[in-house]
Amino acid sequence: MCDTCGCPNPSHHTHDHDHTHSRTIDVHTSLFAANDALAKANREHFDDSGIVALNLISSPGSGKTTLLEHTIDALKNKISIGVIEGDIETEKDAERIRAKGVPVIQLTTGGACHLDATMTHKGFHRLEKEDGGKSIDLLFIENVGNLVCPSTFDLGEHERVVLVSVPEGPDKPAKYPKAFISSQTFVVTKTDLLPYFDFSVAEATGDALHLNPRLRTMDLSSTTGEGMDIWLNYLLELVDKMKKNGNRKL
Amino acid sequence: MHEISLVQGLFHQLEKLARENNGDKIISVTMEIGPLSGIVIDSFRFGFDVLSADNDLIRGAELIIEVPPATYTCVQCGHKETTSDSRPDKCIKCGDLFLIPTGGEDLILNRIEME
Repeated sequence: MCDTCGCPNPSHHTHDHDHTHSRTIDVHTSLFAANDALAKANREHFDDSGIVALNLISSPGSGKTTLLEHTIDALKNKISIGVIEGDIETEKDAERIRAKGVPVIQLTTGGACHLDATMTHKGFHRLEKEDGGKSIDLLFIENVGNLVCPSTFDLGEHERVVLVSVPEGPDKPAKYPKAFISSQTFVVTKTDLLPYFDFSVAEATGDALHLNPRLRTMDLSSTTGEGMDIWLNYLLELVDKMKKNGNRKL
Repeated sequence: MHEISLVQGLFHQLEKLARENNGDKIISVTMEIGPLSGIVIDSFRFGFDVLSADNDLIRGAELIIEVPPATYTCVQCGHKETTSDSRPDKCIKCGDLFLIPTGGEDLILNRIEME
């Protein structure tokens, strides 16, 4: 019955007074639900395959790809590494990683500012077809360079690593809190440039810990190798834990 | 501006719900946007306005946004502060600076009104 005029069948009446027959529908659905469900499936697949998956998030140019190049050099005789590269355009980053002799695929989002669980799912299946893609211990997913949007999308990673380079300034945690709240590890990169910039590692890590007291923090320089041992040990421990726990979640 | 892709996801849902419920015009959409969801409400509104202008089903619909609270637990004294305002700078009980946030991260389509 029409609440306004009381007629029995609102869809058939034709009187021309000014009211509408609107209805309210309760939905209560998360807009992240679809992505989260697929991210969960990705994580289970990584668990079943014994792969540790890390999602690297930072601004453009903070040294994610350079850190990966040096990480691969240091660890490729110990563990098998695979990489999914996310960028808006070009294969440039994948070419740099491919030159290191590990399986890699490039996802180009064609304008989108972040990766999501669907892209990661498709990317991983492409990676499995690459040489060595079926025996990966440690998967790096290098997100699109952006400190804002990627932090909203779970890809199915086990841990999220946020990076800030010395030239960017120490105020990034305070300005972009979500990336630091949602991460497990915070890495300050390019510490070889500390003499040339007004960057306080204590301020950056202090602000990040203020947002997320459980955050693991480290600072390093990929090019000089300073602080790299802590980063490499962290990675090896994750791989070790995954191997010991079998296919149980990290 | 991931808000635009989230609005696109919302519109797919609205189109599906309209089909299922034989609606041909959305009057209002009520969203819940958590203070820690990483979504800028102004950007979400902007995306909604821009994309709805090209969509016969949604054009002119009112976007109602509700902000639920998040809870901040002090690592020092365990006090829990629940607020939908911006993050507290310190614990109001003991003054400690380290607070662990929980909740307030979701983006939920609560209700739609259609005819």
